[in-house]
Amino acid sequence: MLLAFLLASLLAQDSSSVGRPPTTAVERQPRTIAIDDALAERAHLKVGDRVSISAGAGTVGDTVIVGAIVRRGADPSEVARGDLRVWMHLDQLQAVAGYGDRVDRFAIAATPAADIPQLIDRVNGIAFGFKAYRSRDIAVETSRTFQVVSRFHRAIGIITIVASSVFLLCIMVLKVEERRRDIAALRLMGISRATVMRAVIIEAAVVAVLGSALGVAIGWAISLVVNWHYQALYQTPLAFSIVTPPTVAFAVSLSLVLGIAAGVMASLRLVRTPPLALFGR
Amino acid sequence: MRAALAQASLIRHRARTVLAVLGVAVAAAMLLDMVMLATGMRESFRELLLSRGFEIRLAPKGTLPFDTDATIPGVSAIIATLRKNPDVREISPVLGASIHVLAGNRDVSGSALGIDPSVQGDYELLSGRDVTTPDALVANDHLLRQLGARVGDTLNIATGYDPQTRTYSGQRKLVVTGRVKFIYGASDQSSAAMRRETLVGMNGQSRDRASLFMVRVRSGADAEQVRDWIDKQLPNVTAISIATAIAQVDERLSYFRQLALILGAVSLFVGFLLVTTLVTVSVNERAGEIAVMRAIGVSRSHVVEQIVLEGVAISFAGAVLGLALGLVTARYLNTILSAFPGLPMAIDFFLFQPRAAWSALGLLIVSGIGAGIYPAWRAASLPIAESLRREAIA
Repeated sequence: MLLAFLLASLLAQDSSSVGRPPTTAVERQPRTIAIDDALAERAHLKVGDRVSISAGAGTVGDTVIVGAIVRRGADPSEVARGDLRVWMHLDQLQAVAGYGDRVDRFAIAATPAADIPQLIDRVNGIAFGFKAYRSRDIAVETSRTFQVVSRFHRAIGIITIVASSVFLLCIMVLKVEERRRDIAALRLMGISRATVMRAVIIEAAVVAVLGSALGVAIGWAISLVVNWHYQALYQTPLAFSIVTPPTVAFAVSLSLVLGIAAGVMASLRLVRTPPLALFGR
Repeated sequence: MRAALAQASLIRHRARTVLAVLGVAVAAAMLLDMVMLATGMRESFRELLLSRGFEIRLAPKGTLPFDTDATIPGVSAIIATLRKNPDVREISPVLGASIHVLAGNRDVSGSALGIDPSVQGDYELLSGRDVTTPDALVANDHLLRQLGARVGDTLNIATGYDPQTRTYSGQRKLVVTGRVKFIYGASDQSSAAMRRETLVGMNGQSRDRASLFMVRVRSGADAEQVRDWIDKQLPNVTAISIATAIAQVDERLSYFRQLALILGAVSLFVGFLLVTTLVTVSVNERAGEIAVMRAIGVSRSHVVEQIVLEGVAISFAGAVLGLALGLVTARYLNTILSAFPGLPMAIDFFLFQPRAAWSALGLLIVSGIGAGIYPAWRAASLPIAESLRREAIA
């Protein structure tokens, strides 16, 4: 809430400061703030600019100097919100916002050997007006949105896998059926059913692996495009699509299994059919 | 005749046809879901905002309604200013606050709205009566369940909890007079409403403040013009019309819309590719048969129509199956997305609209026709004599 007030009321460059004589030692030097690159771009600000900052729209605020322009970290909770952010000295923010000697939260770094649950219990035992939580627990609570998105992605993934499985199965069946005359010739030459089946299955497996390798390459290229697009859209370094070794392994394995299954199904049908029937006689 | 030949060709390879129809069905289901996702959220949100007829909302400057704890000071002055515009018909100021219901050793927290019952647009009364007296309170089922309370019970309500001193700024006994459903409330949200003056009286810090104003404009008036006027007259508020609210939600949920566009396009392409591959293989296998047909005088257009018909038949059968499948998967996907924290119960990400179904069906049939064009062109341009000779040798 505090931040929202500030973001809403960050005024344009303080024109009154232009041409102002240098401040004397007695006069208080404006303090510096850091702003994010999106705000700098939108308000046409650069390092060294003076701005007036206040907690209420249209009210007189403190003059500060833009000391740094920072690129925000990859925080999924901020994606698509389009908020602009300012970092200030704590005491100045408290004064500007009329917040008194208050903070919203403390972050505590414990020593490596510390017993965290015990430490939290001790803090909560003596706490007055606040409660200590483990960072991990807060992360779980605040990540509900992403859990929902993740479940949605998983469901979409399952539907996509079903669609691509049917597609792959269909293509492999067609591919093997195209070979009916070759298979009939091999059978008439005396090649055993098992050998014919093995040949068909190996062919199906090779096609599936080659296809999935091409699919991985296309997927990787699409992933680059997706990241480039969404990173530009939301002005975030967050990676939206990551091709990981387990993902690649899953895709290749699934395609191999389906390819072999299709090969087995189609070749079983073909080797059970008399060779002359395969020739259409 | 053409239909009979196309049917015979598809029945000849039953397994392959069934697999192709299944493939198209899954792609069609995905396409329908994505069309529903792309248009449903926006439509559902628009319906939700318009459900009580308030076209404009005023929130603290730079925020969306109830996006932050910020409030707007000077309610009376703002109402007086708004009343100057003859296009403004009704104004409903709403104050939001956190409440604690103290029941013995239990402290159940929830949110409360301070409203004027004669113009409120936040809830529907399910049973009992509205907050006609200052000591009345209406609550949703979630809060009543948590408390084990019923209409007629008296609750000890507190607001303005100060964690430093562990005290409340206001505490009052209120009688539950009705069960309500909050239109913009999430399913897991414990909410109550009372008269605004009651909440203001309990919450010392919020005197003459409101979190939100809802404005109903005169019938026939241009809401956008009224919004522009409010923006000029009241610099400390952000006036949001339905169109701007939808634009802001669109911006926040653009990820889902773009995802829908990409996955919809991929589904359509997969369906197209599947039908093209199948019909092309089928034409290659029947090269001799097609050459014979051409040799006995069957026209090129007849062959083209038959092949295109095969593609359309597979796409149509897959589409019909897929639309049914799509409705089931849409409901499942909607259940997943409905679990978004704080999402109003009434929002549907996948809203079925006949237009969406017709769009998906139309796209699939066009894609079926497109899928049949290449194999049909191949079939029509087969050299008759050479194809017959190749068939005879084989």
